[in-house]
Parts: sequence; structure tokens; C-alpha cells
Amino acid sequence: MTIDATLAGHLQELRRGTVVVASLVVLRTPGYGYSLLETLSAAGFEVEANTLYPLLRRLESQGLLVSEWNTDEARPRKFYRTTPRGDDVAGALRTEWTRLDTAIGDLNPTTPGRQK
Amino acid sequence: MTTTTLVDRYVYTALRRVPEQQRADIDRELRASIEDAVEARVEAGEAREQAIENTLTDLGDPSRLADNYANRPQFLIGPELFPVWRRLMTMMFTIVLPVVVAVTVIVQLFDDPDFGKVIGGAIGTILTVGAHLAFWTTALFAVVERTGYGKAELRTTWSLKDLPRYEPGAMSRMQLAAFLVWPVIVVAALVLQQFTFTDVPVLDPELWSFWLPLLIVVTALRGAWGVWVYRLRTWTRASAVANAVLVLAAAIPLIWLLATDQLFNPAFAPLADAGLGEDKQWITVVAIAGVGLSALWDVVDTTIRIERSMRGLPTKVAGTGGSYNFG
Repeated sequence: MTIDATLAGHLQELRRGTVVVASLVVLRTPGYGYSLLETLSAAGFEVEANTLYPLLRRLESQGLLVSEWNTDEARPRKFYRTTPRGDDVAGALRTEWTRLDTAIGDLNPTTPGRQK
Repeated sequence: MTTTTLVDRYVYTALRRVPEQQRADIDRELRASIEDAVEARVEAGEAREQAIENTLTDLGDPSRLADNYANRPQFLIGPELFPVWRRLMTMMFTIVLPVVVAVTVIVQLFDDPDFGKVIGGAIGTILTVGAHLAFWTTALFAVVERTGYGKAELRTTWSLKDLPRYEPGAMSRMQLAAFLVWPVIVVAALVLQQFTFTDVPVLDPELWSFWLPLLIVVTALRGAWGVWVYRLRTWTRASAVANAVLVLAAAIPLIWLLATDQLFNPAFAPLADAGLGEDKQWITVVAIAGVGLSALWDVVDTTIRIERSMRGLPTKVAGTGGSYNFG
């Protein structure tokens, strides 16, 4: 296995789960599938449509999102919104993310480029 | 017109593998999402047809999308159940399959001891029974993986008690139990075939006056030897000698009875029918070889084990083929 393939594997492991946090945070303002996809990739999250669309339905079944069909415009779209419970979960996940970031930063203060 | 069919074909393909009650809603949402993406590509300057093709290609394999929607695992047996499955498969192929094959061979021997039929039957049994064991075990685990029924019970709960003991010299309680199974079976079989199982005993009833009681006593002594070694907790040279004496005391009379054609009951119908010429001869040769080799193996193996442990040499860890020692 080349070093690039190894790195890609580890990066994928690390990024797994970030899309959930990002979606729950972004959808505090209601949004539909494609708009969320655009917002996330513009914000620098690598996410594919075929994982994001099913993920939204899964989060809805877990009670973290609610959905509603909007038929006001020419094309009907399903809008998702974060529930209070989803907000709580997102808060807890972000706290954990911050804790991990601090913990990694504290690991080895003498590493070049990460001096305190 | 071909372009609309392409989206239709994609949506139908993906949704046929999605639960029915979700289908209408996902259909509507997926089409809207595809249309959104196509529109964005057209606005960015792509031709509409090209935009549709690119959008669908980006969405990828529809069956994968369907699995994601239906929240189905994309594997047959997951990591939680895999160790249990592997342990069960190992047991099926190292214990159940050999027992079934042995029984088939013995039945065939009594039915029609033809060399080709015995070998053919054994190979046929290995293939069919092996395939059935593998298939049904795996199918059962796949069902448990998908329904979740009984998953909590099957999941391995490991504790320190599951660690094997590695004590050179002493026979473990499990080893003693396994060791005692054989004498019990042999004694029971010898007594039962004479008095209850069959109208006509398999072995010659004449032997009951001396040889069979002798074999029963020797076999019982072998069991006692196991208990003795277990309680000694260490190997001694005396136990090696006693083992060799007992093994030979059982093997030599057996071989002699086989060689002089006294072992089996001439009145036992399946043998009497087929007991002419070559067939009977090769059964005798195979039986003598089997008894002789297993006796030799037993004596040599026990002696080597005892010698190693008495000299304080490291003992092999079971299941590593001798590349890994302890002690």
C-alpha cells in the first residue's frame, strides 16, 4: 500500500461523522438535500450525494431532523430542519470535537510547527 | 426523450430495492435532488443531456444508494458475529464432518464393503455434507445479522476464564475429560453389541469367554491411567511405561484376532454375505494398519511429551504446528 492510500484511509476514518455534525448545524436554517450538499462542499466538507441523501432520512428517523414538503415553488422540495433534540446532539458532538482538538494540541508541544 | 428515460431508469433501479412504504416519498425527493443538480450543471454551461449523465454517474451505483436508503448492511456477517461464526465453522469441519464421514464409511462397510463404493461414498459425503454445513451455518448467521433476532445471545462475551491453561506436565481437566470419552465408548460398545444392540452380535460371541473381557479390562485400565496422570500433575517415566504397556496390551490381541480372522462374528449377516475374497481381505489389512499405526503413534507421542517435560524442554502451544512454545 502506498503512503497516499494509507493516508486516504486514515483521513476517511477521521472525517467519518463530521458530516452529521455539519448537517445538524447547517439545518438549523431549513434546507433541502441539494442545497445542503452545496453548502457543505462550499464549507469544505467532502460529502457525496449518495451518502448525504440517505443520511438525512436516517437522522429524521432518529428524531434529530424533521421534514416538510414545500410545494410553493415550481419544483416541490423536501425541507429538513434540526429539532431541539438534534440541536442537543450537535452541541454534544461539537463539544467532543473541541475536546479532541485540544487534546491533540496538548499531546506534544515540542513538535515543530505546533510550539506553544 | 432518451434523457428522461435515463433518470427514470436510475430511480426505478434504486427504488426497487427500497421498502415499499418509503418508496413514493424517496422517489419524489430523489427526482427533485437530481433535477436540482442537473439544473446547477446546466447553469454552469453543460448541455442538458451531458448534465444528466454526469449527475447520475456522480450518484453512483443505484443498488448502493438503495442499501444506504434502506439502512441495510453491505456485508453478509458483520464483525460482531464473525468470531462466533468462525468458531462454529471450525467445529463443523473438524468434528461434525469427520464424525458424519466416519459413520457413513462404517455403514457402507457393513452394507457393501466394496473399495470403490466406500471411497466414493466418503468423498460424496465430504462434498455434500460439507456444503450443507457451510451453507446453513452461514445462512443462519446472515439472518441473525439482518433481523437482530438472537444477536445479543450469540455475541461473544469473553472473560479471563476463557484463557486456556498452559501447564506442561499436568493434564488439564478438559484433556482428561476428552481422554476418558474413548474408554467409556469402547467399553459401552463392546458390552452393548454383545447383549442389546443386535440379535446377532457384530463381534464373535466366542470371544466373550476371554478376549473381550480382556479388552474391556485393558481399556478401563487405560482410563484409570488417565486419572492417575491427572492426579500426579506431572509426567513420570513410570507413566510412560505404563501407557506403552496398556496400549500394546490392547493393540496386539486386536491385531492377532484380526489377522487370524477371529474378531468378527461369521454369523453377522452383512459380513457373511459379502465376506468373500478380496473385499474382506482389504478391510482386514486396513483395520490392522489402523490399529497398529494409532497404537504406535500413541506410544511415541506420549513418550516424546513426557521426555520433553521431564528434561524441562519447552512444550508446544496447541494449534500452532509447533512454531510456538511455552515453558
